[in-house]
Amino acid sequence: MHARSGSLRRRCRSIGHAAVVAMLLVALAAAFLVAPTERTMGDAQRIVYLHVADAWVGLAGALVMAAAGAAYLVRRNLRWDHWAQAAAELGWLGATLTLVTGSLWAHAAWNVWWTWDPRLTTALILWALYSGCLLLRGGVDDPHRRARLGAVLAIAGAADLPLVVMATRWFRGMHPAAPAMEPSMRAVLLASVLGFTALFALLLVLRRHQLELQRLVEELTESEKEMPC
Amino acid sequence: MADAAPAILVRRLSKAFGRRAVLRHIDWQVAAGQAVVVTGANGSGKTTLLACLASLLRPTSGEVFWFGHPAAGDPAARRLVGMVAHEQRLYPHLTLQENLVFAARMYGVAGPHRRAEQLLESAGLARYAQRTPPTLSQGMRQRAAVLRALVHDPPILLLDEPFAGLDADGVEWLVGRLQELRALGGTLCLVLHDETLARRLADMVVQLRDGYIESRGLVSGPRLAGLARAA
Amino acid sequence: MASLEMTARLWWILWKDLVSECRARRAWPAMLLLGIVVAFTFAGQMDLPPDEQKRVAGGLVWLAIFLAGMLALERSFASERENGCWQGLRLCPVSSHAVYLAKLAVNVVALAALQGVLIPLFVVLSGVPLLAHPAAMLLVAALGNVALAAAGTLLGALTAGSRNTAHLLPLLLLPMAVPAVLAAAEATRLAMDGQFGAPWRQWTELLAAFAVLFTTIGIMLFDFVIEE
Repeated sequence: MHARSGSLRRRCRSIGHAAVVAMLLVALAAAFLVAPTERTMGDAQRIVYLHVADAWVGLAGALVMAAAGAAYLVRRNLRWDHWAQAAAELGWLGATLTLVTGSLWAHAAWNVWWTWDPRLTTALILWALYSGCLLLRGGVDDPHRRARLGAVLAIAGAADLPLVVMATRWFRGMHPAAPAMEPSMRAVLLASVLGFTALFALLLVLRRHQLELQRLVEELTESEKEMPC
Repeated sequence: MADAAPAILVRRLSKAFGRRAVLRHIDWQVAAGQAVVVTGANGSGKTTLLACLASLLRPTSGEVFWFGHPAAGDPAARRLVGMVAHEQRLYPHLTLQENLVFAARMYGVAGPHRRAEQLLESAGLARYAQRTPPTLSQGMRQRAAVLRALVHDPPILLLDEPFAGLDADGVEWLVGRLQELRALGGTLCLVLHDETLARRLADMVVQLRDGYIESRGLVSGPRLAGLARAA
Repeated sequence: MASLEMTARLWWILWKDLVSECRARRAWPAMLLLGIVVAFTFAGQMDLPPDEQKRVAGGLVWLAIFLAGMLALERSFASERENGCWQGLRLCPVSSHAVYLAKLAVNVVALAALQGVLIPLFVVLSGVPLLAHPAAMLLVAALGNVALAAAGTLLGALTAGSRNTAHLLPLLLLPMAVPAVLAAAEATRLAMDGQFGAPWRQWTELLAAFAVLFTTIGIMLFDFVIEE
């Protein structure tokens, strides 16, 4: 019975992985093959499908990190901090890719490598917040202390984000009017966001599991050292 | 009498720093009016235990109670406890007088200036009231640190090696103060290395080892393990 | 009454910090000096036609306040660490909210002193009419002050705990404080021109919202930051 439930779980996991891979492939295929070529920018416009998805991952990471942080502060179980750490790393990756794809888009559209477009500026600030968060976590050895401080920073950062969005949007007056998207493009955008969200969720689960195992190993090593010879 | 809440109650107290467990599942009680010496080798957890008793450290698990009040609860309960530690906890840019007045104000003591003067007189430090801690000797600073802990007349006093840095006069003065405190029904918990002083001040001894309580007993026993005989 | 007691204790902690800083003379002189140097550097860059000058002056003065103010914010908790004074304070029957608010108040006073020097200095060095509408400027300065102090006090406490993290305050505070610095800069720019319409109100409200948000977050989360 135990063996059967184990293999059932494994089968569910493989199905889950396969589903994520499938969604991602669909998203990429849609972005590069199905979506119609844009009139003014040509194929380079397809970056937007990756860019928006990455931005969404960057945002999702921040929300997960803040929620997991709050859960840790209440429950004091390090499991929550593993979710927060995984979200911080993946969110940072998402924010970095947002900046890179945004920069490529800006170059393709306006021949500049950077623009102070409010959304890109927000992405930059988000990236900086993530970097600070990771540096803070890296500088604290005690896992509970790291979890606590990381949680406070994540919650403060998440609360700050709406203000950042407002400030950057008002500062520039209005962002360059994005050309209205055709319904088919919008559909591809949605597929892309879903695909990358699925990927984010999968990587989050895997990374958290990895952190959990790491901690278990460390605990076992420590307790072994303390056992009387 | 059995119904009176113990001065200090420790329930399954554990404290770990990261992966290093320093205190493990300590269950312990100190009745009101008792004086206990905590002994143990370096690294056995004595300082950590005292810090947990003072609510300076949050236990990884378990609880500490002072006369039934949870140490981790309402900050107002901290009035029940005073602590003397290695570091003197005196603000280097405030005079002794100002340090004591500040402490008195923080504890809500009425007439803080009078109280500060009174304390300084009793320790023979009245002359140095307007001096700042860095200009004073270690012994005088240690006396001032003790005064600071006593400013609000706490019923429970925790002391972590309070005699370090005191000269013979200072030692006698502190012993006198602590004995006075006991006579008035105060509860003491001390970390000490000196066996003679331990016998003079305490009636119980608790020995820690690797974060566990290894033994408890009366101080009047033949030899107190873990304490050095005075030279 | 409980809140009266708390206010009294808050006041005494504030008094203690101000007296200590006045006698120690460590952080504030450095802060003021850095502010003056930055002001001169920025003023040097502002050799522009008056319209352009007005456009950038708001941002530059607030950037100067932010950079120099960081020195005071960094010190507000570091000073307690000597001689175990921080533990002494934590032993007292004072709630962590009171300690946070007291530290916040100290930082507000520090930043106010800095602003008192920098804003007139900018006016003198570059002729920019920052004080054309003094009441409005005072409002923006006060709100910006509380906003920066609130975020800086929380993050300062967060980073003060260990040596490895002590230098991270500027890196953490700068992105976090962007809405406040932007709002203050824009409100300053509009105030200089006497444009007190909807945009000015919007920016001022954003600044106030930031101040309120971070003060609230600070009060709520401070316990978790200082716990050991």
